[in-house]
Amino acid sequence: MMPGERLARAGRIVVLLVMAILLAGQPAAAAGPIAHREVLANGIVLLVAERPAVPIVAVRAYSRAGAVLDPPDRAGLAGLTGSLLTRGTARRSGPELDSAIEFVGGSLEAAAGRDGMSVSLAVLKRDVALGLDLMAEVLLSPTFPEAEFKRKVAQTQAAIKRSEEDPGTVAGRALARLVFPGHPYATPAEGTVESVGRITRDDVVQFHRAQVRPDTTIIAVVGAVTVAEARREILARFGGWARPASPPPSVAEAAAGGPPKEERIKKDLTQATVMFGRQAIRQTDPDYFPLAVASYVLGGGSASRLYGRVRDEGGLAYAVYAYPNPARYGASFAVSAATRTAEVPKVIDIVRDEMARMGREPVGDRELTLAKDYLIGSFPLRLDTSGKVADFIVSVEQQGLGLDYADRYKERIARVTAADVQRVAAKFLAPNSYNRVVVGALP
Amino acid sequence: MRRFLGVIAMVVLLTTPAWAQSTDAVVATTLDNGLRVLLLEDHRSPIVSFQMWYRVGSRNERPGATGIAHFLEHMMFKGTPTYGPRQFAQLVEQNGGQDNAFTSQDVTSYYVNIAADKIDLVIDLEADRMQNLLLDAREINSEREVVIEERRTRTEDDPGGFLGEEVSALAFKNHAYGHPIIGWMEDLKRITPEEIRAFYQTYYVPNNATLVAVGAFKASDVLTKIRTRFGKIPKGAAPPAVLPVEPVQNGERRVVVKKEAQLPIVYLGYHVPNQQSADAPALELLSTILSSGRASRLYRRLVHERQLALEAGGDYSYFAFDPPLFWFWGTPMPGQTPETMEKALLEEMERLRNERVTDEELTRARNQTEAAFVFQEDSVHRRAALLARFELIGGYAGKDKFLERLRAVTPDDLQRVARAYFADDKKNVGVLIPRP
Repeated sequence: MMPGERLARAGRIVVLLVMAILLAGQPAAAAGPIAHREVLANGIVLLVAERPAVPIVAVRAYSRAGAVLDPPDRAGLAGLTGSLLTRGTARRSGPELDSAIEFVGGSLEAAAGRDGMSVSLAVLKRDVALGLDLMAEVLLSPTFPEAEFKRKVAQTQAAIKRSEEDPGTVAGRALARLVFPGHPYATPAEGTVESVGRITRDDVVQFHRAQVRPDTTIIAVVGAVTVAEARREILARFGGWARPASPPPSVAEAAAGGPPKEERIKKDLTQATVMFGRQAIRQTDPDYFPLAVASYVLGGGSASRLYGRVRDEGGLAYAVYAYPNPARYGASFAVSAATRTAEVPKVIDIVRDEMARMGREPVGDRELTLAKDYLIGSFPLRLDTSGKVADFIVSVEQQGLGLDYADRYKERIARVTAADVQRVAAKFLAPNSYNRVVVGALP
Repeated sequence: MRRFLGVIAMVVLLTTPAWAQSTDAVVATTLDNGLRVLLLEDHRSPIVSFQMWYRVGSRNERPGATGIAHFLEHMMFKGTPTYGPRQFAQLVEQNGGQDNAFTSQDVTSYYVNIAADKIDLVIDLEADRMQNLLLDAREINSEREVVIEERRTRTEDDPGGFLGEEVSALAFKNHAYGHPIIGWMEDLKRITPEEIRAFYQTYYVPNNATLVAVGAFKASDVLTKIRTRFGKIPKGAAPPAVLPVEPVQNGERRVVVKKEAQLPIVYLGYHVPNQQSADAPALELLSTILSSGRASRLYRRLVHERQLALEAGGDYSYFAFDPPLFWFWGTPMPGQTPETMEKALLEEMERLRNERVTDEELTRARNQTEAAFVFQEDSVHRRAALLARFELIGGYAGKDKFLERLRAVTPDDLQRVARAYFADDKKNVGVLIPRP
């Protein structure tokens, strides 16, 4: 926001995709399980990773109560419910919660995304009891005060309105509509100004009561804490949380998308954002691993083909990247670039050409080795803080990949051949199968 | 992701200095050619963060060549005779590493985070590009277009970035903090390869650089390798000092811009001293009290209680080399006017001048600052960056004294500082009006 620092190279990954990429691009950890896992009597999956060196603790409580469960005319309900968890409990008002956690220099945040709702806690070790007390309160006994509800509705609507300023957000929303027609993933998790305006406080109370439940909840405790301590503290606060008699709701997998479409959105900007997208595959599909390699060769790093042709040689863009985006009920693959308005046709041609080339000819040995070595070798960097470890183990657990996923990923990536990459690319990177969105000052 | 993480790291660094562990374990030395070296062993993960910090940023640029420091930063990835264009990134990636760089008003910083057993490669790459950059004219002209696209993303098409540039330009009449880090578009189009080469030769010398590495290595071994590889690079002439001093501001200044946007934005900027002043710790605490968290003043009052703002905040750059601006901003909620937003921000300034902050506010700000430093210890990258920041403003050991300086601040100090710097006739105001 302020005149800050300028990075040489733009991020390749949009904020919302961080977890997807973490899974997409991640190989194996050191030997031994990455975390202790147990299932509590009420169904909570407890994950604990001990990292004793720094006296901090990061905790995540993730419930399968995401926007996919929003009623069709109430898009944004999960998001609103999540953001209201910290705005008042049976014991404390919202401002009291804020003061309590910030007085000890900690943080307690809650939010919902497409698949789940999560509460994130970061505290110094000495404050872990207080932090967990607050976390349990917001998860189990939020009161959703009327004044806070009204305030949050207005803030959410304003934030949605403002997000229309960001061409990447606008393009991403349009692309989701084209890629996932008829599925909840087509609708933005935060909802629209209109849909959020229709939500009542009673909707929020009901959503929390029905959807935030122990048998779809994962709690990850990472940091200066032992498994025994974590188990004791979590049981003391969440052990009595009753599991509902009814089974958790089921959500349909995304059906295959229709024929690819193009959407053009006019905005008075100097640069145009181009996004390509289609449905793809999740990590449970063996072809996911060659696709991850293909993605990296195509547009994963600053040694990638798109970075080379579009940015390094062409001078056409600051940011250009390709990425798989797996989620619980469906997956997509996207390519994105932003270029000056006049060069949109040229960038589209290069992107299509490189996508087609991935399926037309095998990748060279050097490119293949680089991609695999990067995907395998960069793994420790992604797990170097307690917060990153907590996010990773929750993500692996909620996608049902198993805590040994990191090791399997490494093995699978190591086995990928040029022929695998070509075969999978021919299937999933064929440019004619892609939807396309362009946002900018179009003619 | 790189961009996202970079922004987060910056926000944390700039808003919440303080620490957990003393710097006693740092191995510090200066090579004969003037290269400053700080090494800290951290064996928790088998990785290293290797960072090169050059004392050059947009403050070292002259009018007509704004953006050249950042432009050169891009060119640092475009090859040497030994490692051709793009090889830096290729080598780092095939060794499982991640790298990036940023340019600020004061510094240009490069980092590689990588498996600790690959540190020799990084030492070699960084020493090589400190003295052997190709700076090929064709590559420069191609990268010029990339930088211009970056400017379009961050400034031309970003309402907040656009307004911030205008307010800086208004606030500084003489000092180079008045021009954008990324440079004015006209300069980006004009800057010549010869100017970039001269800039490189002037500032990319060992005596203008600080090397910081934190990670799973043996410091004595790494130091030997650094001496061998960097020690051969000749010392350069001392880069020219930055001479301009910003004159005292006489009267309020204001800029109003109309631009495609959904909501208005209001910025306020006040000239304040940097960390060399005894007032700096109070300013740092004021920044935390005003804008760190939902219990902070601006959030509590403007966002929560009065529901005037979608967001509101303030920021002080403790690590600035020269006196910076203390920034405040607010985005009015739909239906609220920028006039109301500005008035509300000014009322908070007035309140700071007229009433002492409470003990609870002060204690909370101290606790937040201390805790933030403990959290930073969890990442070798952030540990290294923090050492570098303190080293560049007078010595890495300043990290240990920082908390002490903060603890000494009283509510009276905060009030005195607010009165001294947040005067009504010293403000720089920027307003962005959305164009329908």
